[in-house]
Amino acid sequence: MNSLIVIPALNEELSIQSVIEKLEHENLNNILVVNDFSTDRTAEIVTQSGANLINLPLQLGAWGATQTGIRYAIKNGYDYVITMDADGQHLNDGIKALKKQIADTQANVVIGTFTQRLSRPKRVAWWFFKAITQLKIEDLTSGFRIYDRNAMKILSSSAASLLDYQDVGVLLLLTKSGMKISETEVPMTTRKNGKSKIFYSWWMVLKYMVQTTMLCIAKTGVNKIKTNK
Amino acid sequence: MNYSTANITTLLIGALLAFTIFFMVRKDHLHGPYAIWWLGIAVLAIVFGVFPKIVNQLAHHAGINYPPTLVLVLAVSFILLKMLSQDLHRTLQEKKIRRLTQRMAILEKALKDNKLINKDT
Repeated sequence: MNSLIVIPALNEELSIQSVIEKLEHENLNNILVVNDFSTDRTAEIVTQSGANLINLPLQLGAWGATQTGIRYAIKNGYDYVITMDADGQHLNDGIKALKKQIADTQANVVIGTFTQRLSRPKRVAWWFFKAITQLKIEDLTSGFRIYDRNAMKILSSSAASLLDYQDVGVLLLLTKSGMKISETEVPMTTRKNGKSKIFYSWWMVLKYMVQTTMLCIAKTGVNKIKTNK
Repeated sequence: MNYSTANITTLLIGALLAFTIFFMVRKDHLHGPYAIWWLGIAVLAIVFGVFPKIVNQLAHHAGINYPPTLVLVLAVSFILLKMLSQDLHRTLQEKKIRRLTQRMAILEKALKDNKLINKDT
């Protein structure tokens, strides 16, 4: 399976090394770290580790960095992209589970789900978004996913460039383009360093909720993006 | 024709605006399509200043008793339209910047790796 592991990283000097080492220990060597204009030593650490590194000259956010990785993967002929966070939340067992699931099912995308981590406000938010989007997915914001080449093509298109988070907007775009999304429960270690990028202040939560709600409503019935098979 | 001070003020504002726009274009501070919009506004201001009766007649046809209200309503509407079009344009630019940033970063990586890039993708 010709897959690339894409890790978007913004100021992850404390955890990026151990994440890369864990992956390499499992013989997962196709690693690409997309450095989202970090101000710490992230780039230096990744270079020393020998993993592939792309440095963004501007800060694009987690999704912009991930999309960079997907575009890179397409250019370099990879068949699958696995995205994961740089803070060590995703275990290597999870990667095996994702690969197994996408090989066993007809799905174009498999999401690694961590249902046990959801806090109460998050549960309410997810319930709300599932209700208005009709998405039948448990974990809407999990950054731990595997995409096949068709899904990669859709997500590398410019229609996906104005999205800000790798969550509801990305999932809507994929389902509207006819992609099949599957889920698998994966074990998760607790977040070691830093906090959630979205759910850290009430103002951010409100902004996120309003922005995502508007996106959900506005994207109702939008034409799908075609992939050339 | 009765010219009031208000008409002269409008005329002056229009003339000043027009002059500023030509000056900005001359100094390369204002780009073509934007200059056209602002020049249009300046022309309108001048026309309303020279022929104040146009406003009165338009207001009469629109059922507005106090003609200056029409000028204000039009002005606010045009400002809102202009602001909306600015945000649309900024969104388009944001998209372009994001794509360009990604492309540049990928090219930089390829250069470092000394690899040629597939042209077809």
